[in-house]
Parts: sequence; structure tokens; C-alpha cells
Amino acid sequence: MPILKIKNAELSINNKKILKGLSLNVNEGETHAIMGPNGSGKSTLSYMLAGRDGYELDNGSISFDNTDLTQLSPDERSNLGLFLAFQYPVELPGVSSTNFLREIFNSRKKYLGENELSHLDFIKHLRKVAENLSIKDEMLKRYVNFGFSGGEKKRFEILQMALLNPKISVLDETDSGLDVDALKIVSEGVNNLKDKKNAVVVITHYQRLLDYIKPDIVHIMSDGKIIKSGDADLALYVEKNGYSEILNEKS
Amino acid sequence: MKKARNDQFFSNLEKFVNKVYPNQLQRQPYLSLKSWPSPRDEAWKFSRLGKLARKNILPLNLENQQDFSINKLIKDSISLVFVNGKFEKKLSDKLLSEIVIEEVQIEDFKEIINKFDNLSVKNHPTLNSTLSCSQKFFKIKFKNDIKFYKPIEIFNLGGSENTSIHPFIFIHLEKNADVQVFQHYSTYAGLLAPFEIINLSENSNLEIIKIYDDKINSHNLSLTLSVIKEEANLRSFALIKGGEFTRSEMHTLLEGEYSNADINGIYLSSGSQHHDLTSCVYHNVPNCKSSQIVKGVLGEESTAVFQGKVRVEKLAQKTEAKQMSRAIMLSDKAVSNSKPELEIYADDVICGHGATVGELDEDQIFYLSSRGISKQKAKVILIDAFLNEMISLSISDKFHDIIYNETKTKINKLLANEYE
Ligand SMILES: Nc1ncnc2c1ncn2[C@@H]1O[C@H](COP(=O)(O)OP(=O)(O)O)[C@@H](O)[C@H]1O
Ligand SMILES: [Mg+2]
Repeated sequence: MPILKIKNAELSINNKKILKGLSLNVNEGETHAIMGPNGSGKSTLSYMLAGRDGYELDNGSISFDNTDLTQLSPDERSNLGLFLAFQYPVELPGVSSTNFLREIFNSRKKYLGENELSHLDFIKHLRKVAENLSIKDEMLKRYVNFGFSGGEKKRFEILQMALLNPKISVLDETDSGLDVDALKIVSEGVNNLKDKKNAVVVITHYQRLLDYIKPDIVHIMSDGKIIKSGDADLALYVEKNGYSEILNEKS
Repeated sequence: MKKARNDQFFSNLEKFVNKVYPNQLQRQPYLSLKSWPSPRDEAWKFSRLGKLARKNILPLNLENQQDFSINKLIKDSISLVFVNGKFEKKLSDKLLSEIVIEEVQIEDFKEIINKFDNLSVKNHPTLNSTLSCSQKFFKIKFKNDIKFYKPIEIFNLGGSENTSIHPFIFIHLEKNADVQVFQHYSTYAGLLAPFEIINLSENSNLEIIKIYDDKINSHNLSLTLSVIKEEANLRSFALIKGGEFTRSEMHTLLEGEYSNADINGIYLSSGSQHHDLTSCVYHNVPNCKSSQIVKGVLGEESTAVFQGKVRVEKLAQKTEAKQMSRAIMLSDKAVSNSKPELEIYADDVICGHGATVGELDEDQIFYLSSRGISKQKAKVILIDAFLNEMISLSISDKFHDIIYNETKTKINKLLANEYE
């Protein structure tokens, strides 16, 4: 069953074309990896999916669970079950992490028509989920992302993913800035959430993440388009030979 | 109706003083101020008094006939109630032996006033009008070594649209005293001119929280002069919500080494309100610290200004002075001004200042929305955070929730007006 269908997406920022006819289909149960050189438009793709202001399509279509995504606001997309782990998570000084997490957890529950958790039950649930990601209580007492290290920010993104239990998660360079131990913890967190009904799209520079999160399909993105797709071996090939050969092949 | 002349209030004041206090020569010098500051006066450029000047305001001298009830913010506080600028013993709590309230004469605090040798103090309408016509000059003294766990709450009540009221208070902390004071301004006065003097002896600590919430036709021109001795610490926080025009002006003189002054504030303006936080800190000796941090949220057509001045004398090496203002505009019709002034004559000092004015941060709103929170709710969360952070920084933890709730009612109203 398809979850996400992007067809010929074109998008410009400040009159500069960034996405130039990108197509991508993701089915239930699949894990996709998108690799590509800096500036090829990977983060732009992720913002377009999340519905950031200024990232509207010039041409093309996106459907998610058979709904036209382009008509929805970011919060509606999130409620439908789309999650973006930011490449650069945003600091929210003055917003306590625990309150923030409870707010987003309960608003998702409400949307799904499920019971919200009481404060105490939520804290218990949060502790359990946080522990699996080696996130200490102390961190949850701080303001959202404020003064977090690079690695803490990435783990905090995955913590939100775990609480929201989305249908599709786009992880934008979640591996950058993580040491090997943290990489293992984060990957395990992602793998634990994976089931036959949901899907994951990981955007990464490095093959090493794909040792832990095994992709079914690997895409190479360049200059606003997906120029080649293949199985996990494509990532190994890129790791060994760089992008240049694939890029040359195309031009 | 005939418009009052610009100096009408001052001639009313003169008649009043000569009639009510004919034999009190100490008041006479303060009748020499004959008019309101003009917009050309640098200190009043952003806070114009034209509308007040056109009112025919009379000093109020009625015995209080009304019943007043007070709402304490702190359950076990000791209340001191001033109605129409007069101390109402009946409405106030009984004092403890560690606090002394006494009537003093201008002579007794004139020396302190004279330390502020500049025209914006000397020609201040509040200083002059209140010293010439305040009914009594009260001094509250906290004795040596008092660690005071019951906060004092001072209430200013009363007034009516075309009258002025003139409360005076002199707060004196003896050595090592440690005191918390709340000042409530909740009057109906056309003009409220509260004049306060704070004198902190060696190693004393005062936390003073001022809540400006006068009724919507009021002009409040509050003036506070503080002198701080060695290792003493003044923590002042002003929350401005009310009035048609509210200016909280503080002049703070760091006179003893290793002393500290935090002169912070929040304003929340709506409708056509004008709010003004003006603060001057004078570093006269080495090794002192000060901060002036102000945050505001402006809605509708309201206006606001933060004027922060730091003067570091040549002698005052190793000064650390911090200044910052940040305003969030909920409406494009609101106007916020910021006027930082640094006059630094010493070379070994750390001074920082910055000012930002703007809407809420788009990246932050997007981040929250991407987690399923509506844009509207995201804005509420971010404004809450903005104020929460400021309150945590400025006042003792035990008062945090109380002050936060005081901001909450006003913020909800502001947001309802802007986003409905
Ligand atoms: N806000 C912006 N304004 C202008 N150009 C942008 C903006 N954001 C991204 N770009 C440009 O879009 C292109 C793609 O950027 P991005 O999506 O961040 O690439 P990637 O994530 O693959 O490194 C780059 O050329 C970048 O300079
Ligand atoms: Mg990127």
C-alpha cells in the first residue's frame, strides 16, 4: 500500500528553482534512504513535505495516505502522521521540554480519538521512552533544545518521533554529529518503531547509518532530482566511489 | 469646554499647597516647577504628556469615605494601604516590631535627593508635585539584621478622574536586612504621582516588585530614587499592565563597592495604552554590577518605550553593566521604541547592550506546528515562554507563579483581541 506519492515536484525559493521534477513513492513497511551531495535539495524536500511557509510547489503533486498534502497546514500534516526530524532542531528558550512533549503527545492522541494521558501517566510513559534513548531526566527539565549538544538535539528529535508514533518519518541527517554509541542508540530507537504499517525515509551523507538502519531502497539525489535508485548496495557503491561517477553517467 | 492651559495643574497645585499647608515652608521650593516637561525635553521625547497637560487636574484632599477591599497576592504578607495617597491604618495589617513606620520631614531625606544631581530628576513633575503636596512623608524602616520572610504589600488605591494623588514612601533597610516588598498601583486617579526613595545600607537586600495596574484613564508617573551601599543588593521588577499612560522611572546610584542592582521589567500594552520603563543606573564606585532588562508585548495601537541609561564614572573600574530590551509586536499598528545610552568614563568595564523588536520567530512557530500544534497555539506557547523566561530571571522562585498569573490575564486578553 502506498503511503507517500511525490510526482514531478518543482519548487523554487526566491525565484531560484531548487527542486526540478522530483518523484518518489514510498509504500507501507518500507525504509528508504536518500543520499546526495550538499546543496542538492534534500532539506528543501523535507521542508516541502512538512509544509513550511515558502516551500509551496510550483508544479507537481504530493499525496499522503490518499490525501492531497499540499492543501494542509504543517500541524494538520503532523496530525495525519507525517513526522520530520529536523537537520537543525530549533531552540525554544522558556518552553520546558516536558510540557512541550506532553502538549504534542496529547494533541496527537486527541486527533486520533484516543484518551489523553493524565500528567502522572504521561510522565511514566515519557520516562520509559526516554530511557530507551538514553535521555536523562535532567535533560527533560531544560528548555526545548536550548543548550543541548548536537547529539542531544538529535536524540530529542527521535524521542518526539517515538511519542507521536507517525505513519511516515523523514529523518534529515539525524546521524550527523553523533558518535558511534549515540548512532547505535538512535538507530535502535528508529528500528524499534518500525513496523509493517509505517515507513521511514532517512536522508544521510554517510553509508555508516545504513549499517544500522537497513534501507530497502536507496535514492541518489542531485540538483533537485532523484537521478538513480537501487538497493542497499547502491549506498555501498557511493561510499566507495563517491557521487561523481553516477553524476557523470547522467550528464 | 474650555481647555486647561499647559500649566493649569501647577497653578492648582500652588493654590492647594498655600491653602492646606500654609505654614510648611519645607514644601515651598518644590512649587517652583510651573509646567509639564515639553516633548523637546530629551527625557520625555518618547512619552508625551500633552493629553495630561490639557486636563484640569486638582490635587485630591478628601477624607476617604469609601470602603476599600484589598486583594493580597501573598497570603501571609503584611499589607500597608494608602488611599488617595494617605496611609490608612485601619485597612492595613498590624506591624511587627522589626518594622518601624514614622513620619519624617523633607530635611530628613533631602541629602539623598541631592545625590541625584541632574535635571531630569530635579525637574521631575512627580518629585516636585509630591514633595509639595503629599499629605505626609512616611518612612518605613527595617531594622538591622532583619531576615523578613513575610513580604510587605503596599497598596495604592483611590483617586478619581480629574484629581491627582501623591503617595510618598521612604524605604530604609538597615545593615544586613533582607526584605521583599510588593507595590500595587491600582487607582482611578487622573494623575498618580508616587515618589519613592530607597536607601539600602551595607549588605542589605531588597527585592521590590511593582505592579502597575491603574484604571484605564490614569496617568501614572512613578519615580523611584535608590541609593545602594557596600555589598547591598537591589532587585527591582516592574510589571506594567494598566493605565492610559504609565511611566516607571528609576534612578539607581551604586555608591558602595560590590553592590548590585537589577532593574528589570515587563510591559504588556493594549488598546491605546502607552507604557514607559525608564531607568538610569549610576556606577560611582568600582566592582559593582547592574542589569536593566526589559521585555514587552504590544497589541493593537499601543505604544511603549524603554529608556535605559548607564553612567560609569572614571573611578568605577571593574563595572559590569548589562542592558537588553526585547519587544514582541502582535499588531503592525503598535509602536515600540528603545533608547539605550551608555556614558562610560572608566576603561576596565564590561558593558553589553542590545535591543530587538519584532514579531514572533517564524522558525520557532514552524517547529511547533510541525509537531501538530496549531499556529495560534504555537504563538501562545512562545509568548508564554518569552515572559516565563523573563520572570524566572528577574524575581525569586517563590513569587514566579504569582507574577506569571498576573501577566496571564492580560496576555489572554491581548491575544483574544489580536487573533480572533
Ligand atoms: N532559504 C533559502 N534561500 C535561498 N536559497 C536556499 C534557501 N534554502 C536553501 N537554499 C538553496 O537550496 C539548495 C538546496 O539546499 P538544501 O535543501 O539545504 O540542500 P541539502 O539539504 O541537500 O544540502 C542550495 O543551493 C541552497 O543554497
Ligand atoms: Mg540538508
